Amino acid sequence: MKTAELNKELYSSPVGNAEEINELLRRYGVKFGIYKNGIFKEQLFPFDPIPRIITHDDFTDMEKGLVQRVDALNKFLFDIYHDKNIIKDGVIPENFVYISSGYLPQCEGITPPNNIYSHISGIDLVQSKDGDWYILEDNLRIPSGASYPLIARELTRVASPAAFSSNSIVDNRNYAKLLKDTMDYSNCGGINAILTPGRYNAAYFEHSYLAELTNSVLVQNDELFVEDNVLYHKTYTGGKTKVGALYRRISDDYLDPLTFEPQSLIGIPNLMEAYRSGNVAIINAPGNGVADDKGIYYFVPKMIEYYLGEKPVLKNAPTYLPFYEEDKEYVLKNLDRLVIKDVAEAGGYGVIFGSELSDEKLENMRQTIINEPRRFIAQEVIDFLDLPILDDGRQVMRKADLRAFVLSGEQTKVWASGLTRFSRNPDSFVVNSSQGGGFKDTWVLSR
Amino acid sequence: MKKLYFHFSTKLTFDNYVHDHSFALRCIPPETPSQHILSCELNISPFVSAMQTVDSFGNNVTSSYLKKEHRYLDFEITGCAEIDCIAQKTDFMPCYSYQSKYTKPDSALTEWYSEISSGCTADDPFERIKFFSDCLSEVMTYEKNSTDTATTAAEAFAIKKGVCQDFTHVMLSVLRMDGIPCRYIAGLASCDGETHSWLEIWTGEYWKGYDPTNNCDISDDYLVLSQGRDFGDCAVDRGVMFGAYTKQLQLIESCLSESSFY
Repeated sequence: MKTAELNKELYSSPVGNAEEINELLRRYGVKFGIYKNGIFKEQLFPFDPIPRIITHDDFTDMEKGLVQRVDALNKFLFDIYHDKNIIKDGVIPENFVYISSGYLPQCEGITPPNNIYSHISGIDLVQSKDGDWYILEDNLRIPSGASYPLIARELTRVASPAAFSSNSIVDNRNYAKLLKDTMDYSNCGGINAILTPGRYNAAYFEHSYLAELTNSVLVQNDELFVEDNVLYHKTYTGGKTKVGALYRRISDDYLDPLTFEPQSLIGIPNLMEAYRSGNVAIINAPGNGVADDKGIYYFVPKMIEYYLGEKPVLKNAPTYLPFYEEDKEYVLKNLDRLVIKDVAEAGGYGVIFGSELSDEKLENMRQTIINEPRRFIAQEVIDFLDLPILDDGRQVMRKADLRAFVLSGEQTKVWASGLTRFSRNPDSFVVNSSQGGGFKDTWVLSR
Repeated sequence: MKKLYFHFSTKLTFDNYVHDHSFALRCIPPETPSQHILSCELNISPFVSAMQTVDSFGNNVTSSYLKKEHRYLDFEITGCAEIDCIAQKTDFMPCYSYQSKYTKPDSALTEWYSEISSGCTADDPFERIKFFSDCLSEVMTYEKNSTDTATTAAEAFAIKKGVCQDFTHVMLSVLRMDGIPCRYIAGLASCDGETHSWLEIWTGEYWKGYDPTNNCDISDDYLVLSQGRDFGDCAVDRGVMFGAYTKQLQLIESCLSESSFY
């Protein structure tokens, strides 16, 4: 059965009391921090009690497509930092790779343990009204969000056990094991550690929660050091413990002040030398940004055919690259109904809907695209399936997407859940948590 | 071909104790077709164990961690190399075709490039670089202490002053705008007492060196210590340390000579 054919009545009832669960989330410290005008503000990531439901059949197809996509992306990353065959064979134009700010020449020739670059991938999808799933973007750097449905499920199970005994829902609490297995598989000998920039980071709750669930040590940079190209954790007694896998929740630029941004105060000096020497796995690998660049996204279906010799199972949203003359012409002509995305931006910033622009702004946008064609991609607006949410006790329909989590260890596995984010504003298509959206639990049916 | 003895030392002193000092040195000259290293000895004081790796640009990296409190860090290399600047190096990387952090031009530098390139009739990349370097020598003057290690090509060009690092960055920026892949070289040259920097352009088959500061070809009197997209990849030493110091002083000495120092 397809998700679109689900009995709407049956699957649009709230599970548990939203206020109660939000109160529990608040007490557990499930918060989301954002910087607005330079001021750090923590806010709740509002939970909606009506779960998103994905049928068993839908999930099976999606799973195939996601595994295939992440496997191809991992092969692409290996290729780019080694032989670059996909460029030599003319599948991807050279400058799309090297202009990307995510491409790091400092990672050339480094082979991560088991050739895995993207251990934890967050793939954003939307479902259209006719039931097809479309990939919106790949997040291969440090995608966040898995902890939210995880803890929400924990709480709703307590609040409404009947909902889980009478429905066949795949238990999503295995995320901790998936993540631990992923870290263990790449571990170069030593403990697993999760590196957080600290409690003022937007996702600090997640860092601490995942550390607790996976039995990893939660650390900040001043508890770590590199000696003789080995990464160590300082113990309380003044000793040192070798770290074999570092799940770092800080971005590449700040990772190692002796290789990247010299001003970084949150990095670990000489971490790159330990990594290059094969003494520690960095999860996810540095340099992954080249594969989740919005400009590279366009080429992912081609990558799947190139590396795996398979037809892509999941579709990209129809995308145009103004870099190509033909696409540029189309984009300039249809700008008023397309979505324009700035390839350098993330978190829902730099997303512009042509339909919302005044004539003057449209004209400015056209000029900007003509001047900097490589900076943008344009996409058709997908008419995606609205999901029911509770708004002041009233059920209303809102735009939502799904971030699926794909973990690459010995095998590539898709977590049978995911983060469903929705826009609270009825007119908005942007669902990012940093833009004030909310989230739902995601149920995958077991039959 | 020439046999050169080299010596290079830096003395870093702090006005208070520092500890947990991590550093990475790129000072051991790489073995390449154009320089054969006959001997090279590295001394670090205070004594600390150090590891050797080769980074993605082909540089020898010496990394170390000095945990104990200390007020100075000295390191020096001494050795001998056979230099043959005509021998061809072929270790190309595609990133050398693109602007990097230090070489990214601003509008003034872009305009200057379009101005001078319209007057350049040569096709051969090496003729073009000579032309551009002549133009640069006319507008930019060498002045010690006018810039620092964080100065970008655009910033140095704006004040029309700089040292070898700045001349090299401006030229790299111009050459990359011109579609000529090129890289930054940090090294020792002609016994000027400090480190020097120059550039290499990719001819399509091999690297060829040029010294924009002195506006001349390179010779067998140039010893390469490190290479990369710009200064950021090539710094001879980078370090991070903790402590209540407010000042650090670095003294550098270098010497290249055809006769042994001993």
